[in-house]
Amino acid sequence: MKNPFAHPFAKFVLKKIFFYSVVAFVALNFIFLIPRLMPGNPIDQMIPPGTTDLGRLRLKAELEKYFGLDRPLHEQYINFWANLLRGDLGYAVMRGYNFRPVADAVMAKLPYTLVLVIPVLFISFFLGNWIGARAAYVKGKRSDAVYFTSVFASQMPFYWFAMVLLFLLAVNVRVFPTGGTFSPRFIPSMNLASLLDASRHYALPFLTLLIITTGAWATGMRSMTLYELDSGYILYARQLGFRNKKLVSYAKRNAILPQFTGLNINLNSLIGMTMIIEIVFRWDGLGSLTLDAVLARDYFMMLGTFLVTMVVVILGNFLVDLAYAFLDPRIRTGREG
Amino acid sequence: MFELLVRSRKFMIGAAVVLAIILFGIIGSMLTRDPLAYSSHFVEPPSSAFLLGTGNFGEDVLAQLCAGTRNSLMIGAIAGGFAVLIAVLVGGIGPYKGGLVDEILNAFTNIVMVFPMLPLLILLAAIFRTNSMFLVATLIGLTSWPWAARCVRSQVLTLKERGFIDIARMSGMKDRKIVVTEIMPNMLAYIIVVFVVSLSIAVLTEAGLSMIGLGPDPSTNVTLGSILYWVMNSTHAALPWALWWCFIPPGLILTIFLVAVFIMHTGMDEVFNPRLRRV
Repeated sequence: MKNPFAHPFAKFVLKKIFFYSVVAFVALNFIFLIPRLMPGNPIDQMIPPGTTDLGRLRLKAELEKYFGLDRPLHEQYINFWANLLRGDLGYAVMRGYNFRPVADAVMAKLPYTLVLVIPVLFISFFLGNWIGARAAYVKGKRSDAVYFTSVFASQMPFYWFAMVLLFLLAVNVRVFPTGGTFSPRFIPSMNLASLLDASRHYALPFLTLLIITTGAWATGMRSMTLYELDSGYILYARQLGFRNKKLVSYAKRNAILPQFTGLNINLNSLIGMTMIIEIVFRWDGLGSLTLDAVLARDYFMMLGTFLVTMVVVILGNFLVDLAYAFLDPRIRTGREG
Repeated sequence: MFELLVRSRKFMIGAAVVLAIILFGIIGSMLTRDPLAYSSHFVEPPSSAFLLGTGNFGEDVLAQLCAGTRNSLMIGAIAGGFAVLIAVLVGGIGPYKGGLVDEILNAFTNIVMVFPMLPLLILLAAIFRTNSMFLVATLIGLTSWPWAARCVRSQVLTLKERGFIDIARMSGMKDRKIVVTEIMPNMLAYIIVVFVVSLSIAVLTEAGLSMIGLGPDPSTNVTLGSILYWVMNSTHAALPWALWWCFIPPGLILTIFLVAVFIMHTGMDEVFNPRLRRV
């Protein structure tokens, strides 16, 4: 019987699972180390100002005991993993969260971030690559105009572009609200009115992210397609008298593969961009939660949001790699090209 | 390599614009008012006294723009310097030594590459309370090197295969001498451009961090990001986005700078990868 793990596709998947497990392990150790390396102690932040010196000492001892920080380091390390595996990320000490479990609070905000990240990732990939490929074979002034627009769109600081859009479309022409997820005094529930209200608030952050990422894909795809159109097999096919449309479709297929490998890096930067864009638009996702946690110095919440972001990034990267393996015939069929 | 770069039109145009912005920052901040000097003209639109209007505390926006450009570029230079230093060590030693060293360094680069940079920076900036320009620059440099390391690595890999390196090795030259006398001179132009690109990414990152209040302390440091921070946290306007004269100029400077670096980088790519030049 043939060994099923010998198939290149299985090998590829196993290799990727191993790699991302290592990344997750490194990231989690990093999360364990960071609060222990920092100057001062997160416990100090929890003691209300105005506490007497004696009260401060006793409260500190009490809190350290409560959070297990008085134990030796190796025991803390084991506890850290045990808590993680139980899904326990600690409790939110920041105002308005009433010691709610951090995992709960973060998971409640995650959909708001994903609803921005996922559509932007896919739509910009298809739109940007389509524009880039077209710009590559439509010669002349129009092509140049498209090229410069996409260069500008991809190089603009995204947070600044968000401010410009707010200035144009929410202040000058009041088409969209200036921020938030729902209108003030609006009580969201599962109905059409809530969806409509949220989508009005959704439009500008979505548009900001979409335009910036589409620009990046289009610039990359244009030069990749031009590069392919210049290669030997295209020149040969041209000599054979293939139609231009056919040539472009060949070039596009080879140009899209390197673009696909860029999807990983694009996902990583898109998550960071989304977090800052959320803050500009006061969109109620992970980014806004992170900033609130930072301002309130809630360490459990800060580490919790980072951990969840990291998990999302690792899962996303893994899925992108799988999709790449499906697309690349060399990996899919197991025949070397 | 330098002669080829000078002949590239794209590279020279990009470089000229970058140079102009550096001069704008340095010379401009000598000619304008103190960027932190308060006046009683709070958030006024542009006038003949204040060419770009005034900010939250009556500061001259033009003076802030010049000082901010200078300081942001300085932060970018420090961060880019750190990033390139790490990149040369990680990306240069690996392929040269080969074998296990290369495997480990490359795996390390790939692992750090998966970390999303901005969330990581937000976490580190908040926990270590980096509030001086130097500390923020260091932090950005320490988190942004993987891209540069990849560039350096691929360049060393192609250089290693060239004949003159083999000849040097066969003639009994020591490893360190080969790196210093044969590889480095051929890498210098490339590394400088990688440095400029790292610098531009750092400038973009710093402004983003500062804008949400996690950069250098905005009440004592003027950067392009701190101007945006004071717009976001303005107490003078119901809608901070209405203060267009405060936030349009810093973003525009950033955009022009980043586009110029991009064009420069494209020009360099064409020089180092001749097949791209024809397209």
